[in-house]
Amino acid sequence: MNAGALSEDLNARYRREESAIAQKYMQRFPWEMVVWGLGNTLIWMSLWPLVFAGALPLWAGFLLSTLCCTLAYLPSHDAQHQSIAKKGTRLHWLNELVGHFALLPLVLPYKIAWIEHREHHANANDPELDPDYCFHGKTIWASLWNATQSRQPWAQSEIVAKVLERSNASNIKQAVIEALVLRSGYYLILAVLAWSGFAIEAFFLWWLPRHLGYTYITTCLGWAPHFPYEETGRYRDTRAWKSPIGTVLSLGMEYHQVHHLFPRIPLFQTAPAYWELRDLLERHGARDDRPDAPAHLKSALQ
Amino acid sequence: MEAVLGKLEEYGAVLFGIGFMAPLIAQSLAAAGLAAPFGLPNIVFGLAVGITLGLVAKWRRRWL
Repeated sequence: MNAGALSEDLNARYRREESAIAQKYMQRFPWEMVVWGLGNTLIWMSLWPLVFAGALPLWAGFLLSTLCCTLAYLPSHDAQHQSIAKKGTRLHWLNELVGHFALLPLVLPYKIAWIEHREHHANANDPELDPDYCFHGKTIWASLWNATQSRQPWAQSEIVAKVLERSNASNIKQAVIEALVLRSGYYLILAVLAWSGFAIEAFFLWWLPRHLGYTYITTCLGWAPHFPYEETGRYRDTRAWKSPIGTVLSLGMEYHQVHHLFPRIPLFQTAPAYWELRDLLERHGARDDRPDAPAHLKSALQ
Repeated sequence: MEAVLGKLEEYGAVLFGIGFMAPLIAQSLAAAGLAAPFGLPNIVFGLAVGITLGLVAKWRRRWL
């Protein structure tokens, strides 16, 4: 059964039931994302004086920095969807602080990230319109290659320019200025460090961890939950799946489907929400690649 | 302003080659106890490699 096979009334009823369940998971304040977002960047920042003072060997700094970069996106992702605090509420400033501050290790501009991410949600898996389609691939290796190509400076500019052209966001000018300041600042800091005799430290504490972190994030968040990028539509553009490396190491993305259906559910609530929603999702024909899922719900592999 | 930013983007790979790759190569050689070829100072060798790779990246419009 799929959403198209349901009568309009039944479809509307299931949607209402889904929404009622989802609402429950949007109520709790996601304090763990605040601690994670702010704490992770503070830990990453503390690596610099520790390595420079000789209190931490560079190899350990590199490993920790790579971990911090890998963990940098998700708190900001929740903030992009205002899961921490909605606009107009008392704690919205905290939402925005987490959004901006968490992304510093990745040098990813928050506002541009949100404008792009909104386009991804609106057009998931559309080869022309989804900015995250650049992570597609029939295998993980193909995805890694495509993701690497999309991160080449000119390719990245083209993806962003295409999104900005289409976007109706009201803050594009401000977002572009912020992005330019952030990126210029990053390259300036790298150059100053390098010409001051700290090129190897800059390489192992920032340049390389940032790329490794990005790669891991795009594989877990971009590729795996959307694989094989064949279908579009509310219940088919993402999937429920069982990660071979477990929920934690796949950054909670086994339940990314719930995020696409109800983006304001914080990351830590997507798993319990999924299990409560699963029967309803099945009735809607939601894509499900978990081992116990019925065959007709599985991804259509071409 | 836009023209300046356009030039910066156009020559970004070369600037990266000079600003980051050159000292990184020079300091990596020193850390490994290696000498640059042809008796060149490490930083001159780093600049030669960094600028060349930057120009190639600019021409190909990608590093990889």
